[in-house]
Amino acid sequence: MSGTRLDQLIKMINQIAINNPCNGDVAASSEVVLGHIRKFWARPMKKDIVAHLEQGGEGLEPAALEAVRTLQAEQNMTAS
Amino acid sequence: MSGAGGTTMIQQFDPKTDQYQAGGNGIDWQKDYGTPLVESDVSVTLAIDGVPITVPEGTSVLRAAALAGINIPKLCASDNLEAFGSCRLCSVQIEGRRGMPASCTTPVAEDMVVTTQNAALAKLRRNVMELYISDHPLDCLTCPANGDCELQDMAGAVGLREVRYGFSGENHLDAEKDHSNPYFSFDPSKCIVCSRCVRACEEVQGTFALTIDGRGFDSKVSAGQDEPFMDSECVSCGACVQACPTSTLMEKSIIDEGQPDHSIVTTCAYCGVGCSFEAEMKGDQLVRMTPWKGGDANHGHSCVKGRFAFGYATHKDRLREPMIRDSIDQPWRPVGWEEAIQFAADRIKAIQAKYGRESVGGITSSRCTNEETYLVQKLVRTAFGNNNTDTCARVCHSPTGYGLKATLGESAGTQTFDSVLKSDVIVVIGANPTDAHPVFASRLRKRLREGASLIVADPRYIDLLKTPHMGEGIHLPLRPGTNVALINALGHVVVTEGLEDQDFVSRRCDPEAYQQWRDFIVQEKNSPEHVAEITGVPAESIRQAARLYGKAGNGAIYYGLGVTEHSQGSTMVIGIANLAMATGNIGREGVGVNPLRGQNNVQGSCDMGSFPHELPGYQHVGVPEIRQRFAEVWGVEIDPEPGLRIPNMFDAAIDGSFKALYVQGEDIAQSDPNTQHVEQALTSLECLIVQDLFLNETAKFAHVLLPGASFLEKNGTFTNAERRINRVRKVMPPLAGKEDWEATQDLANALGYPMNYSHPSEIMDEIAQLAPTFTGVSYEKLERLGSIQWPCNEEHPDGTPTMHEETFPIGLGRFGLTEFIETEERSNRRFPLLLTTGRILSQYNVGAQTRRTDNQVWHDEDVLELHPHDAEERGISNGDWVGITSRSGKTVLRARMTDRLQPGVVYTTFHHPGSGANVITTDNSDWATNCPEYKVTAVQLEKVSQPSEWQQRFQTFGRKQQQFLAQATDDASAS
Repeated sequence: MSGTRLDQLIKMINQIAINNPCNGDVAASSEVVLGHIRKFWARPMKKDIVAHLEQGGEGLEPAALEAVRTLQAEQNMTAS
Repeated sequence: MSGAGGTTMIQQFDPKTDQYQAGGNGIDWQKDYGTPLVESDVSVTLAIDGVPITVPEGTSVLRAAALAGINIPKLCASDNLEAFGSCRLCSVQIEGRRGMPASCTTPVAEDMVVTTQNAALAKLRRNVMELYISDHPLDCLTCPANGDCELQDMAGAVGLREVRYGFSGENHLDAEKDHSNPYFSFDPSKCIVCSRCVRACEEVQGTFALTIDGRGFDSKVSAGQDEPFMDSECVSCGACVQACPTSTLMEKSIIDEGQPDHSIVTTCAYCGVGCSFEAEMKGDQLVRMTPWKGGDANHGHSCVKGRFAFGYATHKDRLREPMIRDSIDQPWRPVGWEEAIQFAADRIKAIQAKYGRESVGGITSSRCTNEETYLVQKLVRTAFGNNNTDTCARVCHSPTGYGLKATLGESAGTQTFDSVLKSDVIVVIGANPTDAHPVFASRLRKRLREGASLIVADPRYIDLLKTPHMGEGIHLPLRPGTNVALINALGHVVVTEGLEDQDFVSRRCDPEAYQQWRDFIVQEKNSPEHVAEITGVPAESIRQAARLYGKAGNGAIYYGLGVTEHSQGSTMVIGIANLAMATGNIGREGVGVNPLRGQNNVQGSCDMGSFPHELPGYQHVGVPEIRQRFAEVWGVEIDPEPGLRIPNMFDAAIDGSFKALYVQGEDIAQSDPNTQHVEQALTSLECLIVQDLFLNETAKFAHVLLPGASFLEKNGTFTNAERRINRVRKVMPPLAGKEDWEATQDLANALGYPMNYSHPSEIMDEIAQLAPTFTGVSYEKLERLGSIQWPCNEEHPDGTPTMHEETFPIGLGRFGLTEFIETEERSNRRFPLLLTTGRILSQYNVGAQTRRTDNQVWHDEDVLELHPHDAEERGISNGDWVGITSRSGKTVLRARMTDRLQPGVVYTTFHHPGSGANVITTDNSDWATNCPEYKVTAVQLEKVSQPSEWQQRFQTFGRKQQQFLAQATDDASAS
């Protein structure tokens, strides 16, 4: 996957987190991010952002990072 | 007024009979009742020529007579204009009253006894006509109005046999003609000074461009300050031409071709107003589009696009046959439909076999019909087997879908257009209705003339603020990108100054969400004083606007792409809904949240399941029960995961994982932001299938070209911005032999997924089966009712004009938190100015249609508008070539000074591809929907002497692709 596309995914997920600060409650904010990703992101986009987390998840906002972690756990569960 | 109505038409719909029965109100839309409809709870009964008739109080005797089937002669009266009483032809006698009053200006009274015809009246009318004709050319046989002239009709009706005054006296027969307008001529020698044109310009259009100049014998109709029409304020809406009872104002098409022989009522394919028109035909040639009085969206009004700009449908550039090629460096090869479809299907199948099921997708069009859009997304979800479907609404109103669904529970505007006539305060945010939704703007202006207040939040001083004779107007000239800060401040004032509708909030809204919002909105960071610096709007103006809206009996919000096309587009839509709920401005006429949709079928394309996460009727693909219902009807399993959105498709194409795209009626290479990125994506595709009327910018990157059918060449429906489903009726055969839905069906079949529709009505039946808000919709009902506003189901069998009257589809309305987050696209030293983009009246969207009409005379190039202060700093003068550079790219446009903008903000339109407006817009987008941030781009300007590199490349590439097309066409005609 090219850098541009990954950069775009990181930018998008961070934007979701930043736009839903939930009065500073990171857990609540990450819930919103996760809900949004589940509802609107295509399968390859979800896969790629999880892959990025596995590479260290650089550049992800705290709420976004948390959401991707949950997504990763879910994917691992389905895979196993 | 039309003389064309009676002939049998090729289609089923005969306005004369069907519509008469349709409304159930006994109104024959082809008849002129003389004065407008009056609404009153009080009925009055009178006798006209011995015929008893009961009408609403306030109705004129002229109209009452017409309703009783008695047609009193008239010239200056028309039922879309207030009575004027100048021609005296409609004089009558009333028992117990003196003289012969004009029936148009005489209201009915209980037990009134009216005589419309006797010797005295006949003599009076003949005398009137005699005077008119003494100063009128007697060239009826060669006159363009022959066959459609009210003056001629009245001369016949009153039995005029001689003109005792002769024709040698002083007259106006040599008055000079004005042919300056490309679509109509003004021949003052034929004018009877009835003022219908002047009144139409004022009352119907609201422009006040026409006037009666001079007095007495010298009186004459004049555009502006006695200027040619083209130099005046005239916006060429056609209302005056429509109103003219003679050939004084006459369409040039009629002058050239003669009167039409039959007509069919259909729906305009330009903006989201969705006007009904009578397509007036000679054989299979369209000679005139006349606004249809029975149209529920437009009530007989029109604009320069729908009324006149239809020539593109027969333009020489139309694609006439399918074409294919292996690579975009090759000339096109014209082939039959079957070969083209098979070529496309083979390519798709091979690509899916090689790169996987998810490597292909489709884009539906907001310009095509509901049925066509439905079919494209169905093809993607069934034949392609994934959810990679999206639509051009992605780049305009996707935040509306998200924001309104989150708050009000339905992705649609809440009102009818007529609702504005009951509004007391009208808020317009990021919309320019006089240019982009002109027919609605006329109704809005009418309400403003009646005294409603106007609040405009827009970086530019839009024309609506210059409405003649309007009430109070407030302009909030905010800095681009600061909408959310502004809407929060308006909410803050409403809450802190006690202007909420507590009753509405407690009955209709979710208490927890409301409380969260309330706690948020009262914070100091949302106060007008705090946001004044962010928005550039003085705190006092914000407070004044909030108070005006908060205290309004009926407050209505209308908004456009200036709301949605931002990094916080969805947040802003939520903010608007919050404000409407907090003030109780939802659920009745005169109020509401109203997105003004850009293209004719934006609403419909969204309704039809074009988005990658939603099946038709906004039903999420992730819900098993919903998928199950579709699987049963469609016969295949639906992928439970959302597909790619347009920008995601581009990214995936560049990345190499997305290889084929089917694009119906959208020009992504011109309309989508960051053109160079889009071009790179399109070049990366192995198979691009484009179905369009013309070789548009996207088609230049295509491998398969499927010629599209114009709206005149197909059957179907469009859904306008008020959720109104209107019929599109075929008036001529498709130029290339297939309606667009037929080509999609063929492609599905070639891919191995069977589709066997024989008429779009069958597609609508399937939609009604699957989309809960459409269950009651059918073509039969559309014929009967004229139009239907969804939801149309068991609860609302005739549709729903006003939404959310009792409850919201989600039960309680949900306030959403709307934190203002500054966009990443901000000005700095390198890019100190903010560019915002928009539209102009005469051109439509990417201009593919309007650029191929005489509308070009109004706007043949996109220019850069800037404030004189910014120009002076850079040594730029009016007309100079200016290089505009952003983080994305560079283009060159001509400069035009304006004080409509604040210093620091520059503006352009995107109607001409070579302008490259989208070369400079960035790939920044709405956080929730990826709707591009067209409205904010940080730029720098400099004076230059030649086009940008991109523009030079664009021209070279465009020339090459045109040659490829020309070669193909030559080959075809040679073979």
